[in-house]
Amino acid sequence: MSNEQASSGGRVTTPNEGRRADAWDDQAVIEAPLRLHQTVAPPEWMDYNDHMSESCFLLAFGDSADVFFRYIGIDEAYRAAGHSLYTSQTHLHHRQEVALGEPLVMTLQLLDHDRRRLHLYHEMRHGETGELVAMAEQLLVHVDTDAGRSSDLPGDLYAHVVAIRAAHAGLPTPAVVGHPIAIRHTR
Amino acid sequence: MSDPTTTVPSAATGAPFTAYREEVRPEWLDYNGHLNDASYAIVLTRAHELLLEHLGLSAAYRESHGASMFTVEMHLRYVAEVSAGQTLTASTLVVDADHKRLRLHSELYADGVPAATGECLYLHVDTAAGRTAPLPDDRQAAVDALREAHAGLPRPAHLGLGVGARP
Repeated sequence: MSNEQASSGGRVTTPNEGRRADAWDDQAVIEAPLRLHQTVAPPEWMDYNDHMSESCFLLAFGDSADVFFRYIGIDEAYRAAGHSLYTSQTHLHHRQEVALGEPLVMTLQLLDHDRRRLHLYHEMRHGETGELVAMAEQLLVHVDTDAGRSSDLPGDLYAHVVAIRAAHAGLPTPAVVGHPIAIRHTR
Repeated sequence: MSDPTTTVPSAATGAPFTAYREEVRPEWLDYNGHLNDASYAIVLTRAHELLLEHLGLSAAYRESHGASMFTVEMHLRYVAEVSAGQTLTASTLVVDADHKRLRLHSELYADGVPAATGECLYLHVDTAAGRTAPLPDDRQAAVDALREAHAGLPRPAHLGLGVGARP
């Protein structure tokens, strides 16, 4: 299997690494769902069978989440000051294989939140056919990295989360959300 | 023979599959020097590939039989950060299986400390026809043997719970 990833200087990078968080615009319309990231499946994401390897679906969703973090106000400077959003769980669903050079469009829906946790749902669709390729459900936790424990989001960032959730309140909850992995035996 | 009253896994009741062991690779780290979220999936996949190889269902099987185990779902629970130089190991259970599906769960460790858990659902696919197919008899026998060997082992409390649900 191939384990080459989008790497620069021999490590994992994201397309927006180093980009400062956006200034929040109270007047801007919040997309439902958010459409923050698209990409084209690169050669280094292909496995021995010339299909995109599983971890690279997570890289693509991670890149979309990274844009989301910058959208609400979390960038490298925020993390360097001692707080971050950590991924607690990711449940990935594969629907279609992805070949080299296929365009991929990611959407992101905020399902739920409290003061320190975010429940997200991502979809990946083929950029031309619109066909559903993969989905990911994630639970993220805001942490105080020095103390090594979870902590409430600061007021301004929390206000952005509340605004996004209000914009997403009318979206239906996708069928896979909340479901565990299981084999349904028919006999 | 094992004492049937003991709860400690023995050769008679089976033991988790623990063949995986390797050092963290630099290309798996992110800007912070920690194992990237997506790289946990690489580690899980590599650990599970060894179990699939043990069952005769690895990459070589794809070549010889024109069929493959396709990952349809993966559920990762992140427990701890992992850094360069640490040694990764895994303890894997066959949780469930039928004639074309296989469910595996692994505990992943870094230097012996829990780092994450990962569960995968695999579907046996005829790659030429592009659809699911029953496992060949010999592979089914291997899957059933390991599933039965693992049936009496302790299960993690989070099995059967979706994202966000607590045991």
